Amino acid sequence: MTMITRFLMGPSRPGIEALRPVLYRIAYAWCHDPALADDLVQETQTKAWIRRAQLRETAALKAWMVTIMHHCWLDYLRGSRDFDDIDAWQDTLESAEQNPEVCCDRKQVITCVRAAVARLPRGQRQVLTLVDLEEFGYAEVAGILDVPVGTVMSRLSRARAALKTMLDAAAQQTAVSPVLRRVK
Amino acid sequence: MKSFVSDESLNAFVDGEFDVAEEESLMARMRDDPDLAERVGTLRSLQSMVRLAYAEPPGTGSGASEIVPRRPLMQRCAFGCLILLVGLSGGWVLRSLEAQSSAASPRGHSSLGGYQSVSLAREADPNRVMLHIDSAQPEKMQAVLDQAERFLDEAEKQGRSMQLEVIANSHGLDLLRSGISPYSDRIERMKKRHASLQFVACGQSIARFTHEGQKVILLPSAQAAPTAIGEIITRLQQGWTYVRV
Repeated sequence: MTMITRFLMGPSRPGIEALRPVLYRIAYAWCHDPALADDLVQETQTKAWIRRAQLRETAALKAWMVTIMHHCWLDYLRGSRDFDDIDAWQDTLESAEQNPEVCCDRKQVITCVRAAVARLPRGQRQVLTLVDLEEFGYAEVAGILDVPVGTVMSRLSRARAALKTMLDAAAQQTAVSPVLRRVK
Repeated sequence: MKSFVSDESLNAFVDGEFDVAEEESLMARMRDDPDLAERVGTLRSLQSMVRLAYAEPPGTGSGASEIVPRRPLMQRCAFGCLILLVGLSGGWVLRSLEAQSSAASPRGHSSLGGYQSVSLAREADPNRVMLHIDSAQPEKMQAVLDQAERFLDEAEKQGRSMQLEVIANSHGLDLLRSGISPYSDRIERMKKRHASLQFVACGQSIARFTHEGQKVILLPSAQAAPTAIGEIITRLQQGWTYVRV
């Protein structure tokens, strides 16, 4: 009987464990620190297992676990001394002291994009990674981060615009001696 | 009618947040407005770059070798029996299903534009297609470009927004080599006309040609990927359809 209720009550342990790569990818895209990302995933999985009875629909397991991870990360940021507020990030963004490196090869594109994403303000980075990496709908992202849908849209739009500016700047740096230059 | 489309709406369109009617009206506007189409193309490429950047996040070393909690033996046995039962009955059902379907359709692969296509999705996605060429035969080169144009024109006529990638490796690389490709002008023209068309060259093949003492210069509209096979597999995993020409 206990076994049956346990199966009915919430997600199974393999279900939670199977989401590990997904969660890790998101966590890494948020903090760009493999060790911290691993910790976040670990903590999220533990919390999800403890609170598994709170999940109403099994279909929403992924979004629910990402919500938990979002809170874990916020807790971590509050706990650590170097808490960055968005205004401070905006400053570093505009100062552009270390531009993302040269973009020409795929591998370099990866480094380049990661560097650019890492320099986005936290809120924008979270929205961008959730939408792009896991194809969450705007409403789902709004639910996960507990912000209005309008905020999700404006953050995403600003994030992509900033990303484009940073990547364009990086691409221009490589083209210091272009053979052909576009006049238009 | 020519009101400005906000970045927010364009993002929503790219992320599939529009409903069918909104999508159709925006796509109709994109056909008349090349700037709008270019903005959408930029957002799409940003999106795929972010996806690529995190496709393989670096591991932590500790990996997935966490302590696996032991389940009670009885539960495991019950699971085992259940899986065995499901497998057996599933196999039986599938067997009869297969007999039916093989009678109905003699071919397993779908065909797209006369070529055999492969897709990991249940149905081949006509909006995301890669064409693979690995031969330097002029007729094959012509065929791949003809096919690309046919796909893109058809999509344009039906109002679909299509992404198409031409992947060249081995001797097929000649198609994208500046000074060697017989179709360089045509490729530039096609690239200019269709923003969502990409030409990708295999990095390994380039390295091999270079090793053999040939200098490889790609056409300006072509880009290099580390390996063609890697590119194909990534795209297949993303739900693209593969067509070998």
